[in-house]
Amino acid sequence: MTVSNEVRLAGMPILRSEEETKVREWFGELARPVELFVALGPEETPRAGSGDLDFGAEMVRLCEGLAELGDDVTCRVEEEPEGFSRFPAVSIRPDGQDAGVRYDGLPWGYELGSLVGGVVEAGRDEPTLSADSLAALEELDRDLTLDVFVTPT
Amino acid sequence: MLLAFRFALASERVTASAIEANEFPQLSQELGVWAVPRIVVDGEPRWDGAVPEAEFLRRILA
Repeated sequence: MTVSNEVRLAGMPILRSEEETKVREWFGELARPVELFVALGPEETPRAGSGDLDFGAEMVRLCEGLAELGDDVTCRVEEEPEGFSRFPAVSIRPDGQDAGVRYDGLPWGYELGSLVGGVVEAGRDEPTLSADSLAALEELDRDLTLDVFVTPT
Repeated sequence: MLLAFRFALASERVTASAIEANEFPQLSQELGVWAVPRIVVDGEPRWDGAVPEAEFLRRILA
């Protein structure tokens, strides 16, 4: 009998027990609420080797699972919301406001740490950059778009 | 990745997206993503690999 990746993953915990404890601790210390805004829509065909995984469904499962780990973390899901061109995606929103922080694609494996870290950073009430960086950003007179390509391994 | 997120959270002028290269092969190919992390600034591939904050700042503003 063939079991799809979706069925296999549905029963798998998002984090190991010790990781979950740590994430609960971090999420419990957030200074402001953070919303995980999940955007679903037509997906590009991934590279070979990704199997029959439903990336959108898995994204929802991951984000809803993370939202269960902290009272100040919530998850909202929309189909093809305005401003999104790649799906699935999750916008990490401090106080529910779009701050331009996004993860396009499924943050699985090692990359789940980037999403968790993004929530922790968005939950701070003060930037954690150096004084030099903050001063440079203060002087910035144009918009800057940073895209960081990552892989789950 | 977190460094880019931190810059975006610190400035309304900065946006930061992590893009899972395997799920968006067409875009990854267009931008020549062969190693990760690959940092793309304003649509232009700039460098591969993690760098300290001061160097990151210098490179994104260059």
